[in-house]
Amino acid sequence: MEDENNTFDPDLIHAIFKLVWTRRALERERNNVADALDCEVGAGTSKKNRQTSANGKAIKLSCELLRIFITEAVQRAATISEAEGASKIEATHLERILPQLLLDF
Amino acid sequence: MEKAMDVEMEREGGGEEGEEETESVSDVLRDRFRLSTISIAEAEAKRNGMEISEPIVACISDLAFKYAEQLAKDLELFAQHASRKIVKMEDVILSAHRNEHLATSLRSLCDDLKAKEPQSERKRKKTPRKENKATTSVVHIPDN
Repeated sequence: MEDENNTFDPDLIHAIFKLVWTRRALERERNNVADALDCEVGAGTSKKNRQTSANGKAIKLSCELLRIFITEAVQRAATISEAEGASKIEATHLERILPQLLLDF
Repeated sequence: MEKAMDVEMEREGGGEEGEEETESVSDVLRDRFRLSTISIAEAEAKRNGMEISEPIVACISDLAFKYAEQLAKDLELFAQHASRKIVKMEDVILSAHRNEHLATSLRSLCDDLKAKEPQSERKRKKTPRKENKATTSVVHIPDN
């Protein structure tokens, strides 16, 4: 029950991914425009610029990956704050675990 | 009416105004993402018998969002490297290859999803074409 409530919405993650991909596709397009005008290759570039999309299961797996990232962050910070005898996770606790967390992901 | 005209004008204006629009879209996504993060983080903190202060959750959420963006880039590059246009599960696993534990747990999750696939796939709209052909030509699937 808990798991169902506390994962990311795959559609949301898909939307975020799509946004990044369109942004990158636009950038690529902009870079290619100059070249394309010179060498008049219409079909080739459009094929090249076709946008990336994702498999539904891949999105689900990414949701899980992101969820793990967050739970790891909280768990590690909780361990530190417990060791310090605090009952609330504060900035210093996050600071302590952050470097290793970012290395691990 | 006037606003609609403005939007149209902006769209015609070219790429730079378009970027502003995608920025507002990304703000909405970021907010939704943050809401999900808050519920995940608070549930996790509760499970550890801890409270978590709000700025920390916001901070973790920003980190996770940046991570998601980075992940999107990685996945795209991995898929491209495999000369695909579609991101598959193996790309996601590959993105976690530096962390063996993470990779193994993702792989087992991937196997779980694959195991579930046969039932759920028929319901989903975005079925791969191969499967579609196979199932539409034979409507009755014999259960042996």
